[in-house]
Amino acid sequence: MSNFKAVGSRLLQLALVLWAVVTILFLMFRLMPGNPMAAYIDPTFTLEQQQQLMAQFGLDKPLWQQYLIYLGNLLQGELGQSFRYREPVGQRIWILLPNTLILTFSSLIIAYAFGILAGAYLAWRRGSWVEQAAIPMVLTTRAMPEFWLGMVLLAIFSFSLGWFPAGGTRDPGAEYSGLLDLYTSRDFLAHLVLPAATLAIYSQGLPLLLMRSNMLDVMKEDFVTMARIKGLSNWTVVVRHAARNALLPVMTSFAIAVGYQLQGNVVVESVFSWPGLGRELVNAVAASDYPLAQGAFLMIALVVILMNLLADMLYAILDPRVSHA
Amino acid sequence: MPEIAIPKSTISKTAGIRRPHIVVRIFQALKLPVNDPFAVAGLVIYLVFVVAAVFADQIATHDPTEILYTPSYDLAADLRPGQDGFLMGTTSLGRDIFSQLVYGSRSALLIGVTAAFMVALIGSIIGLVAGYFGRWVDAVLMRLADIAFGIPFLPFVIVLAAFLQPSIWNVVIAMALVLWRDTARVIRSQVLTLRTRGYVEAARVAGSSDFKIILRHIAPNILPLSFLYGSIAIGWAILTEASISFLGFGDPDSISWGYMLQDAFASQALAKQAYYWFVPPGVCIILVVSAGFFITAVMKTSFSRS
Amino acid sequence: MTEAFLSVRNLRVSYQVGRNFVHAVDGASFDIPKGSITGLVGESGCGKTTVARALTRVIADNATISGGQILFNGKDLARIPEKEMNALRWRDIAFIPQSAMNSLDPVYTVEYQLGEVLRRRGGMSRAQARKRSEELFDMVGIDPGRLTDYPHQFSGGMRQRVAIALALALDPKLIIADEPVTALDVIVQRQILDQLKELQTRLGLSVILVTHDISVVAYICDRTVVMYAGKVAESGSMQAALTAPSHPYTMGLRNAFPDLQGAASGVLTPIEGAPPNLANPPTGCRFKPRCPFALDLCGSEPPVVDVAPGHPVLCHRASESAALRIEAAKTETWMARA
Repeated sequence: MSNFKAVGSRLLQLALVLWAVVTILFLMFRLMPGNPMAAYIDPTFTLEQQQQLMAQFGLDKPLWQQYLIYLGNLLQGELGQSFRYREPVGQRIWILLPNTLILTFSSLIIAYAFGILAGAYLAWRRGSWVEQAAIPMVLTTRAMPEFWLGMVLLAIFSFSLGWFPAGGTRDPGAEYSGLLDLYTSRDFLAHLVLPAATLAIYSQGLPLLLMRSNMLDVMKEDFVTMARIKGLSNWTVVVRHAARNALLPVMTSFAIAVGYQLQGNVVVESVFSWPGLGRELVNAVAASDYPLAQGAFLMIALVVILMNLLADMLYAILDPRVSHA
Repeated sequence: MPEIAIPKSTISKTAGIRRPHIVVRIFQALKLPVNDPFAVAGLVIYLVFVVAAVFADQIATHDPTEILYTPSYDLAADLRPGQDGFLMGTTSLGRDIFSQLVYGSRSALLIGVTAAFMVALIGSIIGLVAGYFGRWVDAVLMRLADIAFGIPFLPFVIVLAAFLQPSIWNVVIAMALVLWRDTARVIRSQVLTLRTRGYVEAARVAGSSDFKIILRHIAPNILPLSFLYGSIAIGWAILTEASISFLGFGDPDSISWGYMLQDAFASQALAKQAYYWFVPPGVCIILVVSAGFFITAVMKTSFSRS
Repeated sequence: MTEAFLSVRNLRVSYQVGRNFVHAVDGASFDIPKGSITGLVGESGCGKTTVARALTRVIADNATISGGQILFNGKDLARIPEKEMNALRWRDIAFIPQSAMNSLDPVYTVEYQLGEVLRRRGGMSRAQARKRSEELFDMVGIDPGRLTDYPHQFSGGMRQRVAIALALALDPKLIIADEPVTALDVIVQRQILDQLKELQTRLGLSVILVTHDISVVAYICDRTVVMYAGKVAESGSMQAALTAPSHPYTMGLRNAFPDLQGAASGVLTPIEGAPPNLANPPTGCRFKPRCPFALDLCGSEPPVVDVAPGHPVLCHRASESAALRIEAAKTETWMARA
């Protein structure tokens, strides 16, 4: 019963946050200096088209009515028309989202796999020179601007060594019968390596440091000592008991990292001309394509908020103290 | 005469022959670690960049925005380090990289420190008010924090920077508007525990005003924590400014490391293999930000210990 | 005296603190006979838990067994290679921890944790382990249907029973119980102790029960080993130690605890003062600063005196113990010291 209540209040909170972000976005795009109409109406449209759009978005009405129309449109998934592409924003975002998600998840999975193992290893080797040297190095990777790391990798592995292509998702002229065909091609994979490596190098520090400090805490727990007294093998003690417990908060942080990574993608996608949501957001803002910018922003915010929720839920699922309360 | 119990440690401190130097005492009050090698390294790095920022006019060899010419009156474009006396080479437009680097530390520190100050100040005040007054005030403020957690930070800065006049302060404003959330949550929980302490209860029973209690009893105790979160925000601000400038939403009139990287990227420095151009600004950013990490990491451990 | 199958001789366990060594256990000797419950009793910090852990050789990172012998089944546990020691753990020497809450892994079911020991250490198949787990739960009086529960779903007393079931899993020769009931309320304490006693008699177990509470010792133990400041002050049969305590510290402990059976045994008199700092122990008898009967000669190292067969006492005045007992029974004796 209390579980249902907790989930209910969490969902209510989610709705509140979502509504607030949507409202902030509305105010930002309407109240900012410049022509508020510009937020929706492409100045190069014919007068007739402009008037039709004015009516659709209610731009001829007072602000509060515009707000209601805006909310109504959003609820129906209506995000407006992109100026540059002359196509619905929703459709445009739908094309870009998979690219962003593939980049995000591939880099994060690598980062977490490495970070968890290395963090557990460093906890096990605490006090050794390996640890003494590794921790400052990890902190340094956290201090790197992601796009700069991307630039350095690009200069070395693409421009100097020529091992990987410099940007995009496919070689110029390459044609694919469908998205699946593209995503499974060698071509796509080669394009994915550098941006994914950039994001992975930047992201591994979080799970690594978290795993290490959790491990150090868990290793002091009584049940780990008991596992040793039981004569269980070192591997069982460290992996099945210590690491399994230390992993809980790290797994939770994965969801938060996805939301966070989506923001970092904005710069890395720009460096590698990766056609994703982040790069589109930057381009749309730069080209004053407001409907597209607003749509991309909303999509990113939605994922961030959902991932925050997922983090809470993951914790509840993975920790029997919560799931079997 | 009644005996007054004074803990031994207090006696030895006040009766010490020499009070520690004022700098040492400030460091101690803020829980700044002075005996950890990493923290000291961090402080030294900070010091170097502060000197570079303050004396930029004296240290820089050229005006960072001036288009320069070689002694043979050619445009000093894409010169390698050392060529024609340019310490670290020149950009494609013939500007001196070393001088840009020196002036870059000025905007980095300016943004870093102001943004950190704003974040720590706003976060601390909100955390204080929420934690101290509790009830609906707390509920409202914490929901606001939830909302701030729902805003994707970098996209928010980009949109804001695009709508406002290009200025280095956009990053500061955006950080103040969004990143107060982390500080506020931590300060709030700290205040919640402080509020139950005996001396706070006693002050309240004795009829002290809320304002007085906050100022006298609570604020001094959260100051080190505010300082810690402020320090963390410095690195964030510098990284954010770099990203924004790199994406072309920065202030075109001020030289920053992010601007240098954008310039290099746009001028094909990668293809030209001009490492001397785009590596140093990145290294500077890493140095300043990781210096902050080293200091704050040590501070955090001293917090968890106490 | 029955045959001793565990014999601790001059055991010394040292902790490294900074550059100094602190001898938490400093030359402890005692015997554990087969098929009995021995109470290892003393104030916190006297080294009793360190002794208990030293027997399993799972000790703190900064601790070492720096001297003495632990003779068990003809082997010196202080010296055998780690591999050999590990083979003995849980199969021969099992452990019941103080707080079963923290000693059970929170993310696994109790069945998993029983099965882990039964399969990995006992070589059982999955089905055998399942059967044995049910048997064990029956033994400690828990419904086997609760095997699939997680540790946090049990009450404190139940968790302690789970810990006992775990200790019994592989039919160990020796069970060390470290303050097994301290965290529980008095009624549950009694239930758990009764259970432990019943199982011990039925299965003929040998148990070392570590506790600070001499009433717990009095309640179920056959023998007792009294520790003070890293040394064994007195050891012997329960009968001897309770009716004829011969070390002034044991006499003091008797006065300081209520009876677990609830019978008020007069006024409780605490022993004034605190145990010495082991980083810098006093010379001679370590109890001297708190002892109401201390003489000048107590400043020298006390001898081990057998006041009766199998009843050694570490005291200069052990021969006068009968007279001292009469004095020690008076509250004023202990007050005067303060």
